Amino acid sequence: MTQQISFILDGRVHQLGFEPGSPYTPITTVLQYLRSLPNHKGVKEGCAEGDCGACTVVLAEPSADGKLNYKAVNSCLLFLPKLHGKQLITVENLQDAQGTLHPVQQYVADSNGAQCGFCTPGIVMSLFGHYKTDLSAEREEIEDTLSGNLCRCTGYQPIFDAALKALDERKEDRFSQEEQDVAAQLKTISQSGVRIETTTHYYSFPASLQEAFTEMEAHPGALLLSGATDVALKVTKQHQQLPEIIDLSLVPELKKIETTGDMLRIGGGVSVNEVLEAAQKPFPALYKIAKRFGSKQIRHLATVGGNLAGASPIGDLTPVLMALKARVRVMRAKEQRTMALDDFITGYRQTALQEGELLTHIEIPFLSEQIKIGAYKISKRRDLDIATVSAAFRLEFGAGKQISEANLVYGGMAAMTKHARQAEDFLQGKEWNRTHAEAAARLIRDEFEPISDARSGADFRRIVAGNLLIRFWADDAGTK
Amino acid sequence: MSSKTIHQSAYKHVSGASVYVDDIPVHNQLLHGYVLYSPHAHAAIRSLKTEKAANMPGVAAVLSAKDIPGINQMGPIVHDEPCLAEDEVHFVGQAICLIAAETEERARQAAATIEIDFEELPAVLSLKQAMAVQSLMGPERKIERGQVQQALKEAPLRLNGSFESGAQEHWYLETQTALCLPGEDREYMVYSSTQHPSETQAVVSEVLGIPRHAVTVEIRRMGGAFGGKETQANHVAAWAALLSNATRRPVKLRLFRDDDQIMTGKRHPFYIRYEVGFDEQGRILALDVEQNANGGSATDLSFAILERAMFHADNAYYIPNMRVIGRVWKTNLPSNTAFRGFGGPQGIVAMENIIDRIARQLSLDPLEVRRINFYDMYKRDTTHYGQKIKQNHLPAMYKQLTASADYFERRKLVEAFNTQHEFVKRGLACTPVKFGISFTTAFLNQAGALVHVYQDGTVQVNHGGTEMGQGLHTKMRQIAAAELGVDQDRILITPTNTSKVPNTSATAASTGSDLNGMAVKNAVDKLKFRMAYQVTEYFNQMDEQNYTLSKHIMFKNNKVFDATNPDRTISFEKAAQICYFNQIPLSATGFYKTPDIYFDRETGQGTPFHYFAYGMAVSEVEIDLLTGQHTLLRTDILHDVGDSVNPDLDIGQIQGAFVQGAGWCTMEECKWDESGHLLTHSPDTYKIPGIHDIPRDFRVQLLQKAPNEGTIRQSKAVGEPPFMHGLSVWFAIKDAISSIDGHKREPELGFPATNEAIVMAAKQFLD
Repeated sequence: MTQQISFILDGRVHQLGFEPGSPYTPITTVLQYLRSLPNHKGVKEGCAEGDCGACTVVLAEPSADGKLNYKAVNSCLLFLPKLHGKQLITVENLQDAQGTLHPVQQYVADSNGAQCGFCTPGIVMSLFGHYKTDLSAEREEIEDTLSGNLCRCTGYQPIFDAALKALDERKEDRFSQEEQDVAAQLKTISQSGVRIETTTHYYSFPASLQEAFTEMEAHPGALLLSGATDVALKVTKQHQQLPEIIDLSLVPELKKIETTGDMLRIGGGVSVNEVLEAAQKPFPALYKIAKRFGSKQIRHLATVGGNLAGASPIGDLTPVLMALKARVRVMRAKEQRTMALDDFITGYRQTALQEGELLTHIEIPFLSEQIKIGAYKISKRRDLDIATVSAAFRLEFGAGKQISEANLVYGGMAAMTKHARQAEDFLQGKEWNRTHAEAAARLIRDEFEPISDARSGADFRRIVAGNLLIRFWADDAGTK
Repeated sequence: MSSKTIHQSAYKHVSGASVYVDDIPVHNQLLHGYVLYSPHAHAAIRSLKTEKAANMPGVAAVLSAKDIPGINQMGPIVHDEPCLAEDEVHFVGQAICLIAAETEERARQAAATIEIDFEELPAVLSLKQAMAVQSLMGPERKIERGQVQQALKEAPLRLNGSFESGAQEHWYLETQTALCLPGEDREYMVYSSTQHPSETQAVVSEVLGIPRHAVTVEIRRMGGAFGGKETQANHVAAWAALLSNATRRPVKLRLFRDDDQIMTGKRHPFYIRYEVGFDEQGRILALDVEQNANGGSATDLSFAILERAMFHADNAYYIPNMRVIGRVWKTNLPSNTAFRGFGGPQGIVAMENIIDRIARQLSLDPLEVRRINFYDMYKRDTTHYGQKIKQNHLPAMYKQLTASADYFERRKLVEAFNTQHEFVKRGLACTPVKFGISFTTAFLNQAGALVHVYQDGTVQVNHGGTEMGQGLHTKMRQIAAAELGVDQDRILITPTNTSKVPNTSATAASTGSDLNGMAVKNAVDKLKFRMAYQVTEYFNQMDEQNYTLSKHIMFKNNKVFDATNPDRTISFEKAAQICYFNQIPLSATGFYKTPDIYFDRETGQGTPFHYFAYGMAVSEVEIDLLTGQHTLLRTDILHDVGDSVNPDLDIGQIQGAFVQGAGWCTMEECKWDESGHLLTHSPDTYKIPGIHDIPRDFRVQLLQKAPNEGTIRQSKAVGEPPFMHGLSVWFAIKDAISSIDGHKREPELGFPATNEAIVMAAKQFLD
């Protein structure tokens, strides 16, 4: 165990302690850290909540094949200890020793992709993250890459044009040449665990599930986090101190995705980006919703376990996973239990988790052909927005044309993710046609009492909740 | 000027090397400023206790109104905006106390200990409430031509109605920031992210009670501004200066994003009522318009904004009998302020909706009603305020754009699509813009420049304009280089600084390049005149057989030469050295004022604009009636920038303005709760367009061969006019909804057309 964190920045290993007198604490964000340095002012704070992307940096971490995985993340949502064992790459690092710009920089500049320039470093880093993957240079992929970067000057078209050119001509860059060395260096760092204790803060990274439970017993009041995209806001927006943190992001058992005979089992610490990759074939509805989750930067950090355990009534993944009849595996030091996700969520930001328990896995049963699934998210802006209303539907059919079981799950309509029970009962035993969909939609509108807030009025929520079932019917029937 | 020149900071931007105010290296004596603001929309301050905060370790100063050494005012035109609240607060977000501390965290902790006893008072929180209680900000304004009442009475057809447009948050990426360094005596150096350094200087000097010559304001670049830093950057600079003055230490004040959104003003919401008379062809005969603007708690620029809304109530249309009445109403909200378009969009969108309604009533394509009402080049060529329209490009642009965008064919395709689709509808709209260029307060149309030539042939150019991303410095550098005949890399544009060029106007009203470009040229002309004379002497002394005339001296390709005798050529730096050794000054100031503009506010008549910029946009959308989601399928824009100084930068302005305008029309919505707290106070709930929201097919063309007489290099202003192209998206959405019943009924589509507004409007047709 070490009190220090180690990471690579500017081509060398940095060791950072948190001893008394240090300007940094374990809840200092990477953005604050970088801006405190004389040579990393390129990273910008636009919002300090992961909504603008001006602070985007790239983290590289070793993969199994000895290479590096590059991920664009919001440095404003990243606590300093999370750098441990990683290479931190900022906009200042992209030029080579001769000062030649990286292709993504060159194209953004030459395509007039920068006006005021304040969002530009973040845009460049998101594109660099894309550059270092195998993702295609299709329009949808580029838009996905930039879904977490706001620009108020250009109208994005020149940025898009630059991205298209740069990503289309990908070749080896200076990072490719250094990749093996950096990976080897990082491997030596990450083998040692980290536990930081200062007079004000405790921050530990358990290296196994067993260690996590030991930590949780020793620090019963500690906040558990993994991606910390939600938790970080307590610091950046509410200025809380978070004295004790157990960071689960290095627990290998929580990072696995496994396929058993009849289900996909996803570790609670799997990132939303990995979830969507795994879901693409077996669960297109989950894939579709996961694609609308935050931005690419946020999806690199945020985990499925965190999204469910947060039990927000507008959590993106909850409705669709409920409709998929996902089960949740919960563990304590020596015992474990599983329960339906329906039973796991008990109220507004309330779950069935008891003291000392941890959500470890989500299990999603594969679907039979008699099941139709649909999922929808209504938000003011398509990308990087919180749902005004979300819905996920599951219709199971028996031998005939009749619906044998209906599950209509809504987010944003009540204090917790909730089934439209009256409409479910109504549909049971009925044929799936327009008349029944419309009748069920009317029931849905009547059975919820949503609120009016910054995102929309209650009337809209009620109307659109019903409409979404009709939209599901229309999509299924091919009616345009 | 056609050679491709990218933004002069582009390479710095992409490598993180560009320096903004918050990036300026500062030494360890820096203090962090913090503002404690009102939690109430309207309240009396009964008592204020700051002792605890002042005594906290790490806190250097806690200031309230009584600690202001100068005058407690920061209103730019009318002095109705206290710098710090005295005994009453008038909006949520109004500054009450300032704190300077060693860290931001300590300043926040100190703020939390300040005890204020408020007595809440009744608040006016909406435009309609303000109108009901007659809370006027000032006298009403009027512009009138013809016999409006009589013409309305005689018109074959009439419509009346109202139109409401909402607030818009600037959402510059860089929040308001200032850094103040104390000098000797009571001199201050203020780095401020401001569009108006001279006014920032004035406000700082007033609150400190020192003369303006003791305050220097400098800005290299802003991280976006859009009008939001025209007056309200002054506030943050004044607060930083007060703290610096109290502590004798450097103080930086950078607003946290949520605080910026809560404390600063927005685009003025407008409520517009009208009655219009027209004939069976849709030709407008008379229009009576009443514009009501929500000014917020203080005057700020509200009357100038109202005036521009009134000037643009006609948009692109000749209306023989027209009356516009304008009023600004006072509410308990942050003072609304300049925002790209400056009232123009609010006036124009209402006019466009009138056209749209007339078309629906007459079962005509709205574009046809637009076309027959356009100003023409014969008799229908004078605005309601009496300005004659010269060089009207509207009819030609209509022809070109309807052809290049294939408007009429696509109109048919859209209608065909809509008959085949029940839940998904498409809409198409073409909207024009005619936008007046000049500050409507005539004396503001002036600019200065200062140009130095050094003996190595390099040149420093200073001018009064500020860089906020628009590429003003890039254009100034191009102009200086072209006029001096030297390469651009010889020209350095230095940060805007009040000690280099004094008494400047804001970089606003799209006039940055027009005014400063002319001022730079004026300075360069003076230098060239001096240099040409010296070089002539030099040539003639060298070889007395030939005689060079000063008027034949040319500046080109880094050379100075006799155009009639190419043997007589020297380098630009040699010319500079000759001047130096002959004791000739190589520094010159330049000045420009826009000629022949005036406006009589009493009669409502005059020629307030130097010229008009024109444009036209066609947008096609697809909407889902069930979810309210819209997709912008294609946008074609044709825009007039005269003979462009830099086509790439101009296209960038057009694309960016369009998307910002489309944001105002579709997703940008400010909401307050019933006690006047902004609900949409962060990007979590206030949504500006993202990359997915731009047209799937986005085509922008500049109008070719349209040189503008009497401007720098025959170019035109470009900052604001293309904002109006965003309106085409709102009208396309309305067109799509209207198609549900074959364009027979008027959709009640809210503004902005959020998914909520679309679903609610569609509901009228579907129920």
